[in-house]
Amino acid sequence: MKSRNKWVMSALVAMLVVIIAGCGSDNASSGSNGETVVKFASDATYAPMEYMDKDTIKGFDIDFIDAVMKEAGMKYEVVNTGWDTMLESVKQGTEYQAGLSAVSITDDRKQTYDFSVPYFESTNMIMVKEGSDIKSALDLKEKTVAVQTATTADELMSKIMGVGNTKLKRFDSNAVAMMELDNGGADAVVADIAIVREYIKNNPNMKLVGITDTPNFGSEYYGILYPKGSELKAKLDPAIQKVVDNGKYEEIYKKWFGEAPDLTNLKNAQ
Amino acid sequence: MDFNFDIIGGYLPLFLRGTLYTVGFSIASIILGSIFGLGIGFGRMLKSPLWRWPFLAYINFFRGTPLYVQILIVHFGLVPAFFGSTNALISGVVALSLNSAAYTAEIFRAGIQSVDPGQREAALSLGMTGRQSMRFVVLPQAVKRMVPAFGNEFIVLVKDSSLLALVAAPEIMYWSNTMKGQYMRIWEPYLTAAVIYFVLTYSLSKLLSYIERRI
Repeated sequence: MKSRNKWVMSALVAMLVVIIAGCGSDNASSGSNGETVVKFASDATYAPMEYMDKDTIKGFDIDFIDAVMKEAGMKYEVVNTGWDTMLESVKQGTEYQAGLSAVSITDDRKQTYDFSVPYFESTNMIMVKEGSDIKSALDLKEKTVAVQTATTADELMSKIMGVGNTKLKRFDSNAVAMMELDNGGADAVVADIAIVREYIKNNPNMKLVGITDTPNFGSEYYGILYPKGSELKAKLDPAIQKVVDNGKYEEIYKKWFGEAPDLTNLKNAQ
Repeated sequence: MDFNFDIIGGYLPLFLRGTLYTVGFSIASIILGSIFGLGIGFGRMLKSPLWRWPFLAYINFFRGTPLYVQILIVHFGLVPAFFGSTNALISGVVALSLNSAAYTAEIFRAGIQSVDPGQREAALSLGMTGRQSMRFVVLPQAVKRMVPAFGNEFIVLVKDSSLLALVAAPEIMYWSNTMKGQYMRIWEPYLTAAVIYFVLTYSLSKLLSYIERRI
């Protein structure tokens, strides 16, 4: 009996080893004719930048990268991997060579990753209930504010209120942050202007107001995420600039946001 | 794997504060959940199916739906209905207690039913009332058998409290997520959180095995 158990155990262990070894196989993909395909990881839960429409990934970033990769003449693929997987696999740089997920460029993140030139200027907006005494970003200091974790709004409000301030409530998604405002758990939500406008438009009976505060909200930019020392940056940066300059960017921006972009800051930042 | 201890150092005070919240949530929910669970457990053992039904429904609902969803319902439905606005601390304790009560109810029931019916019959034949036989004969034996199962449940509860980060309760996992957002590195925040949870659950299991030996 004892020895049979031993055999079963060894068989199980052997199976486990085979499975784990299988997971480690190199997935660096190449096209049918040996041409390399650049694989982008993304967390497609941030409409309208990137989101899943049933089983296809869509959004501003997706159209934008299509224009950039055509300009660069390279094959590519965008995969919805989720946020954590994107972070780790882009850091390793083997299976995914880049991350595309409305990632804001910050100095803290540059310690671990390289970023492309900025490709999007993120403008944040404060959303409050009608009749609120909040008029600018500085009024938020003593208030309870809800944001989505890791967004530019989180970055800005952490600077204004302090990272460890528990009156700054961080949520998994803007949808939950907005529910917190509806239910009186927060005085304001800070989020991307497109998201706030869309929410106010869709919920007219909630009597919400959007406030912009350009002087106190410094500009934040999105960049493509690369592993440290990536060679892709040098290849794609000129293509990004080309797309921004030749009007293609404006076309895509209009498609997703319904208005022409103000490219002054973005071009200066590039 | 490069591992950056500097960024953990920066977040250590926040992790410590988060640990206090996690411990607070856990202790409050273990106590409230056990008291509530005892009630549900007795209700579950009622003879009449009609009276038993609501308790059974309670257990099935809380064991059969994700805690994730329960936390959202409590935070955005139940708590605002009673308190006028959301409050992550209240919803944390309420959600964990309600959830834990469903499991502890079954542990109580299993413990009580595991005591041989002859024990109760013997107590009754000695002239004890039904209540007395439960209090002095059945429960003391049952509780001893429940301790390992409670240990399991409490350890699971401590780790389940990490889901409260969902409603921005400032516990361990919340600060782990914040740190991840700032530096966009996953191992430093997650492994730090894992180590803290391990210390908490290991101490808890040591405490429980001490109790098991004493009773």
